[in-house]
Amino acid sequence: MIKVENLHKHFGKLEVLKGISTNIQEGEVVAVIGPSGSGKSTFLRCINLLEMPTDGRIMINGQDITDKSTNIMKVRQNVGMVFQHFHLFPHKTALQNLTYAPMKVKGFSKSEAEKTGLELLEKVGLSAKAHEYPNRLSGGQKQRVAIARALAMQPEVMLFDEPTSALDPEMVKEVLDVMKDLAHTGMTMAIVTHEMGFAREVADRVLFLDGGVLVEDSSPEEFFSNPKSERARDFLQKML
Amino acid sequence: MNLDFQQFIPSLPYILKGIGVTLQIVSMAGILGFVLGIILSFFKISKFKFLGWIADAYTSVFRGTPLVLQLMLIYYGSPQLIGYKIDPSTAAVLSFGLNSAAYISEIIRAGILAVDKGQSEAAMALGVPYRPAMMDIILPQAMKNILPALMNEFITLTKESAIVTVIGVTDVMRRAYIVGGEKFSYFEPILIAGLIYYIMVMVLTVLGKGIERRMRRSD
Repeated sequence: MIKVENLHKHFGKLEVLKGISTNIQEGEVVAVIGPSGSGKSTFLRCINLLEMPTDGRIMINGQDITDKSTNIMKVRQNVGMVFQHFHLFPHKTALQNLTYAPMKVKGFSKSEAEKTGLELLEKVGLSAKAHEYPNRLSGGQKQRVAIARALAMQPEVMLFDEPTSALDPEMVKEVLDVMKDLAHTGMTMAIVTHEMGFAREVADRVLFLDGGVLVEDSSPEEFFSNPKSERARDFLQKML
Repeated sequence: MNLDFQQFIPSLPYILKGIGVTLQIVSMAGILGFVLGIILSFFKISKFKFLGWIADAYTSVFRGTPLVLQLMLIYYGSPQLIGYKIDPSTAAVLSFGLNSAAYISEIIRAGILAVDKGQSEAAMALGVPYRPAMMDIILPQAMKNILPALMNEFITLTKESAIVTVIGVTDVMRRAYIVGGEKFSYFEPILIAGLIYYIMVMVLTVLGKGIERRMRRSD
């Protein structure tokens, strides 16, 4: 479903991604792991073109999204993203956060968008908070609303950029549970995370990045019990 | 010190009528300045360098010369510029509007840039194009940040509007001056004018605080 070929990304002189190639199948859950500065967030942000790749190709459903003629907005509507710091719209209620883009971009009527929005809030266990502003929600609740907001666009792929890194420890589980449920519905997901337990349990595949290079691309069992590279062993030793 | 306010009581309605003149000039100039200020601020954050250059040059000129000079340029220059003399209050609205646009554009530009970059990224990630993202997501949040500075600008405008006196607009200031001339005593009428300006500014201040409170509801 997603095909990444020889992806390069430079920020000025700094080369953050040094030629990454991989595939993500439909319904697959891929955990992207690596030390900070390894380029894993940049890799994720290239998939919805929040960062423009310097070189290489990314195909989503056979469409080359790095092609100049591609409508970036259309691509993004199909690829949901969840950020480390939520980025909910603070001047809109939880429900308005969910309904804004579908109404604006997809032309849903208000009642349609609200119906879907409420269903999604129900799914993430927050129907009671539909009319609260984000500042009245806890970190974990904010992130669950952010997940629902991305889902409201009915994307085919969901990207998660360290979704639990900014959360208090006791709120991590509620967010991971929502993501787990989502994985079970067959959603295609790419998750940058430091939650090794979660990656091991939920991911179908682990991508280990280091220094802008895809060092390992393997199943979680293999990666966690028997990492091939020295760097991965080193990394896991520090994490666990 | 012998103050005699008694003799000015009959002239009070005449001076007070100036409030309408002042308010009319200030509100129209305020609207002009705000609309033009928003446009200029968009120029300043535009990726087209040329637009940013124009807006910066505009701000530089209007901030770099005295307001009273701009007022007189527009008023006395109009016959040579457009072939006929515009009336003084039009000249006042134009010069104040153009002048405050320079300041307001800076205020709005800073306000837009102060909104967390994550907000526009979140909008982009949802496939929302630039214009609606700006209008619905960024600007409402920027407005909240810039409101105090904006209110300050309108207060300044209200006070500075007194310089229309020099081109003969009969605002509060001018009327106080005329009344003073009639009675050969300027001190009292100008004190009265001062009190009127102070009250107008206080009303604006309270109004601004009220709006600010309303906008902070979501905090």
